[in-house]
Amino acid sequence: MLLDIFDPKAPPQAIGIDLGTTNSIVAHVRDGRPVPLTTCDGSALLPSVVHYGAEGSVLVGRNAAAYATREPERTISSVKRFMGRAADDAETTRLGAYKFVPGESSVVRFDLGKLTPSAIEVSAEILKSLRQSAVDQLMHVGGAVITVPAYFDDAQRQATRDAGRLAGLEVLRLLNEPTAAALAYGLDKQENGLFAVYDLGGGTFDVTILLLDEGVFQVKSTGGDSALGGDDMDREIAERMLMAMGATTPETRTPEVVSIALEAARRAKHGLTDAAEVRLELPKKGGGNLLFSVTRAEFDGWIQPLLERTGKASRRALRDAGLEASALNGVILVGGSTRVPRVRSYVQELFGKAPLSDIDPDLVVAYGAAIQADLLSRSSDEVLLLDVLPLSLGIETMGGGVDKILPRNTGIPAGAKATFTTYADNQTGFDLHVVQGEREIATDCRSLARFKLTGIPPLPAGFARLEVSFHVDENNLLSVKAVELTTGISQSVEVKPSYGLTDDEVEQMLIDALDHGESDFELRRLRDAQVEATRILLATDKAFDTDADLLDVAERTRIEQALSAARSAASSASKASVIENAISALDDATHEWAGRRMNRAIQAAIAGKNLGTVEQSVAHAAGVEAHLAEHGERAPR
Amino acid sequence: MNPFETLGIEPVFSLDLTVLEQRHRDMSRALHPDRHAASGATERRMALGRAIEVNEAFRILKDPVRRAEALLALRGVATGEGKEPPASPALLMEVMERREALAEVRQTRSQPALDRLIAEVQAEAGRTLTTLGNEFASPTLNSTEVLKRIGELRYYRRFLDEAASIADDLL
Repeated sequence: MLLDIFDPKAPPQAIGIDLGTTNSIVAHVRDGRPVPLTTCDGSALLPSVVHYGAEGSVLVGRNAAAYATREPERTISSVKRFMGRAADDAETTRLGAYKFVPGESSVVRFDLGKLTPSAIEVSAEILKSLRQSAVDQLMHVGGAVITVPAYFDDAQRQATRDAGRLAGLEVLRLLNEPTAAALAYGLDKQENGLFAVYDLGGGTFDVTILLLDEGVFQVKSTGGDSALGGDDMDREIAERMLMAMGATTPETRTPEVVSIALEAARRAKHGLTDAAEVRLELPKKGGGNLLFSVTRAEFDGWIQPLLERTGKASRRALRDAGLEASALNGVILVGGSTRVPRVRSYVQELFGKAPLSDIDPDLVVAYGAAIQADLLSRSSDEVLLLDVLPLSLGIETMGGGVDKILPRNTGIPAGAKATFTTYADNQTGFDLHVVQGEREIATDCRSLARFKLTGIPPLPAGFARLEVSFHVDENNLLSVKAVELTTGISQSVEVKPSYGLTDDEVEQMLIDALDHGESDFELRRLRDAQVEATRILLATDKAFDTDADLLDVAERTRIEQALSAARSAASSASKASVIENAISALDDATHEWAGRRMNRAIQAAIAGKNLGTVEQSVAHAAGVEAHLAEHGERAPR
Repeated sequence: MNPFETLGIEPVFSLDLTVLEQRHRDMSRALHPDRHAASGATERRMALGRAIEVNEAFRILKDPVRRAEALLALRGVATGEGKEPPASPALLMEVMERREALAEVRQTRSQPALDRLIAEVQAEAGRTLTTLGNEFASPTLNSTEVLKRIGELRYYRRFLDEAASIADDLL
């Protein structure tokens, strides 16, 4: 447990985590370069497999994978495919060995008898193991950047963030995998230009077009399929193996048989990377063995439809970026599935140039995550990542259509507003359904959340005006807020996320997970508050060094008082709330100063370019207060 | 929000898009939440709010329709689809014919035919953009004329959106 070895003097080390479908990796930056940390398996790659023993033990990695064919139902692999999904989701019910708890519409729960862990909890086990490895090697672990497929929707991202919290990680940021890979490449090679990142992992496909320009990584467009990857290649082979084995009907496809076929299929796929043909022995229905052979040409044919899906997404991403493939300076390969020779040749045909793969495609995403974690924890300004919203956000209209509020590929962070009105006299409530996706019918899109607005003043139909603000932060996470404009009152918003866990549920799970419940939870809150306070004190000291001239004497005195109160609270208080209050008082005292410092930063950033205009514009801009009033915090989760 | 003010850009219709992009990037450098990750809650929220404002302004100014509307708004002219004069019969006719052609492409799934249609409409939209630029550059602004052009651009925009969704299916 992190608490046991917490040493406030050792500088915390930020880590980057690639939480993959097949393998997970934790890395950090040492002497300016990303390096992988050794996982509990003794290597950089930790198989993303969790085994729940009948007697209550939990194993992760290779030790868990050893149970894959013995206890397939209790050995969960590719859990990433279930993140942010429901038990009846088409993706959930594909060829696999698991039983799910029925009737759970908002989250997938694996039915293991007494235990029914959700996909979020299973992922948290993998993250916990990685965190422990990091703690063992780095002593004091700081925040973590966790990567997600660029094409993950809001529910999948929320689920990933919750898994990080459950694992006891401070999630600094959710970073898109292709952007992470580009970061690792861009910084390593110091290259500028337009790049495509083709990322085919175990269960997800992403394609991202981005511009690298002197430390700016600007994503132009992104596309993909969050249910397409190496697992599908395995299934293509496994399906044919099952037929050969005589397991042709659902009854004959027991979890054991399916998992034997899937495991053999994986071996065959790996073998075909170097060999032109692979032969394997498989058990036959009714006893005995059979020899199954597959050639690379056959395999290439089987996966062609999968590759064409990646081609379609890639062409769309190019079109969204307004580019022809010939405009690209390079194509970067990411993900273990890009080791398949046919994938490489397909990418070459698709983009018309040989792809780059000189950084290990299994590690490159974790490297990028580690770099970003390091940059964030140092507040470095060497690099700027400008990412986009992968899938359009909208609201269901009266007719079941979708009113797109923020289109895909909008730069994030992003905000937008939409106004709605009542359709009945004296209507005092309003239902809003937020969806994500490109389809024109709401039921074809992903449902993110349902909002119930109440307390609208009774008015004739069409008189009340509801303004709904969407807010997408740098993690691509959405929050929504609504105001009734005729009264100017923020309406109470009751949020029902369509998928995932509520904040309260996560909090309760955190408490339950700790050995001594409440008191440990308090202790952890205290540690968290101390870490947060240390960081803010440091940032404030730094601000004094550079921007003290922006304060008058009275302001300065007030801030110094708040600062020293916060400092003493951080070092001596035994209750988290004392520290939190002191920090919040410091926050209040530095509020206006922060605004001035930000204006100065903007001016410095565009220095020499039209300074006069900018100064003027900054002075007249809508202002922070107005903005905060508009964009209050209300996360739908 | 006045997007020109937010980005500190002179309020003209004919913008140099590379200058606009550079300005957006420079301001993002100062405001992006990643720059403020280690700061207190207020500063983080403030940076996020302003980064969103900058991104929104950038999105408006990149889009000729919204850029034109923002310029009209600065001159106190009410904008929006409802305020635009009805399209001329000639334009309606033209749009109708092109729509029929588009419906045909949906059936025949002919990529060259779709490309041709898209190119034609893009050229039309380009001409309207030039006219709009001239309108804004003239010393006396004829707002009715400008609104009419905005309406035209909207027609073309819708057509191109639809064409793009067909192109998606053809990919």
